[in-house]
Amino acid sequence: MVSESVSSATEPGRGGVIGNWSRRVVASEHLVLYVTLVFFVALIPFIPKIATAQNISNVLSNVWPLLVIAVGQTYVMITGGIDLSQIAIIAVTSVLGAAVMTLGVDPKVFADTVLWGTVISQEGGGILSGHVWSMPAALMIMLLIGGLMGGLTGWVIARFELPAFMMSLVALLFFSAVAVWLTRSENVNNLPPSFSTIADQGYGGFLSWSALIALGVAGLAHLGLSRTIFGRWIYAVGMNPVAARISGVPVRKVITWCFVVSGVTAAIGSVLYSARLEMGRPAFGDNLNLLLDVVGATVIGGTSLFGGSGKILWTIYGVLLFTLLSNALNLMNLSFFAVFIVKGCVILVAAWLDVQRREVKTA
Amino acid sequence: MIKKFLTIGLCSAAFAFGAHTAAQAQDKDLSICFAYQTLETEFWVAGHAAMTQSLDEKGIKVIEVNANEDANRQFEQIKDCITQGVDGIIIIPQDGESVIKMIGEANKAGIPVAVFNRPPNPDNPNDAIVVVADNVSIAEAAVEHLTKKARELNLDRKVQPLIMVGALADTNAIGRREGFNNVIKANSDLYAEPIEVPTEWDASVALANLESALQANPDVDVIFTSSDFLFPQIRAVLSQQGRWQPSGQEGHVILGGLDGDVTACKLIRDGYVDATGVQDLFFEADSTVEALLKAIEEGDKTPKQQIDDKGFALTQDNEAERHQDMWGCVLADKQG
Repeated sequence: MVSESVSSATEPGRGGVIGNWSRRVVASEHLVLYVTLVFFVALIPFIPKIATAQNISNVLSNVWPLLVIAVGQTYVMITGGIDLSQIAIIAVTSVLGAAVMTLGVDPKVFADTVLWGTVISQEGGGILSGHVWSMPAALMIMLLIGGLMGGLTGWVIARFELPAFMMSLVALLFFSAVAVWLTRSENVNNLPPSFSTIADQGYGGFLSWSALIALGVAGLAHLGLSRTIFGRWIYAVGMNPVAARISGVPVRKVITWCFVVSGVTAAIGSVLYSARLEMGRPAFGDNLNLLLDVVGATVIGGTSLFGGSGKILWTIYGVLLFTLLSNALNLMNLSFFAVFIVKGCVILVAAWLDVQRREVKTA
Repeated sequence: MIKKFLTIGLCSAAFAFGAHTAAQAQDKDLSICFAYQTLETEFWVAGHAAMTQSLDEKGIKVIEVNANEDANRQFEQIKDCITQGVDGIIIIPQDGESVIKMIGEANKAGIPVAVFNRPPNPDNPNDAIVVVADNVSIAEAAVEHLTKKARELNLDRKVQPLIMVGALADTNAIGRREGFNNVIKANSDLYAEPIEVPTEWDASVALANLESALQANPDVDVIFTSSDFLFPQIRAVLSQQGRWQPSGQEGHVILGGLDGDVTACKLIRDGYVDATGVQDLFFEADSTVEALLKAIEEGDKTPKQQIDDKGFALTQDNEAERHQDMWGCVLADKQG
């Protein structure tokens, strides 16, 4: 479904060897990876610490949760939509998952919340507190709720043919409010130690639960897109939903299920972020920085905002570049404002390169 | 096409220049990472200025990172600071819970860490220098003055107090509410059950919730805000109801707060605010830096210490004699 042909761009007589080579690079689906590697190597003389094992471990531990969430965003974007509600799903699932397994919260703080006496017992612990299955059960509940929330948003979009931007914005506002309402904006803490180990950095950032989970999700998502009928339907819906419907593609179901995927990946991201901060945090729903990172990384990877084009591999590249960029800007000690200016420049360059790639591919 | 490449070239050059400048800046001997959560309110802006000034005066290289109210981002920034091999870390955290993990990371890396003004929750198992205002006693001092004013009303009913509560994941907010409640309970003959308005330390949330609370309870006589930065929102809501009046005028609502910022100072001088609890920001900034430098000098990688700022209440009665002790009045005087 995605054109990878560069043959027309490599014909002789259109700029010589260098011109052909540059066109080949620009048209390559691995362009963002090349840019990431060049960027990394170019920074080493200026910021030697960027190449230390500790820093690479830091970068990778930041990559995993963002990657998981961006994978779900990729599914939605290929259909031509966007899911702004992911951070709200993170907030709700973070709070509920933590409430189920917490070993004990302060009764003075939680006694007036809707969770008290329902998900959190009168003694202050979660309903599964201390049970050997509390952590896995909480994770399953988080994924289930994430999928349901995403599915509801997707179903409304598909059923009533609403713009995804508008409906997911409504879902963002609604579910963020639900997260705050559930705990009256309090964090749910005192989670089981086994839950926190999910966020451990492991060896060099690789041998950790976060890495295994993120790479597993990315691998499954890649297979789903590239090896299944459902994957082909997703591209077909993104390219031309009317033509897809006439061809027999169940467009509404495809859109709904893509939002289910987005909701489930947001919930998995919620697991990773909650484990990292060791708390269920309703304020995740206000974290527009995270939303920008997810959308930015997905787009920088090359997934089209107009639908019909995108790959999980590209999203991995985009997340790597975006995370490395954030890390480099931190290590350079630039001001908060300068960081956003540079990020804006990078997204601008990525958008320009995307246009150039399209021109080269269609030449 | 040339223009496009020029644009990219300029962006790249700016980036490279930044990297080069950053590399040059890494030459100083002692470096402190200053990780703060926001510069949204007067208090945090003044706290940031006081802290950086205190560090600059000692010739220390400061690495500043702003988390923009994102606890996860602040965690990542702390880890980046550790990677850079800083000698010490000063954190103004988003809340008292998320900072515990950050302190733990610094402890593991053997880098002394100080937490400024927003302390970790009491169950914190990690070691840090904690500089904190005694929120309970400062709030009590301010509310006691409000109580004195409330008694002078001589109403034929109980006085209706209202508190604007901060985010209760924040120890400061908890302490301020406790101080407020202590005084209300000690004067139960005077006060009706207090109304609590949640603000989550967010001005727009505070405005919406206060509007609703005052519509439901138009007889509120005393308002205590857990932070002075919410006075503009209080003014907006009371003005709508025609109750934004200076002390002594009919309809005046007895107002108090806590922080001691520029707005509060001006409003006390203009007669609208009756009292505010004052944190000694300059003392807190200097104490933080001095305690951290002492730990670095002594090679103490996991210092554990609490420094309390006793604070006081600035009121309409003592403003003339004590305004120089309040950081907001000092800044207000500088601004003219």
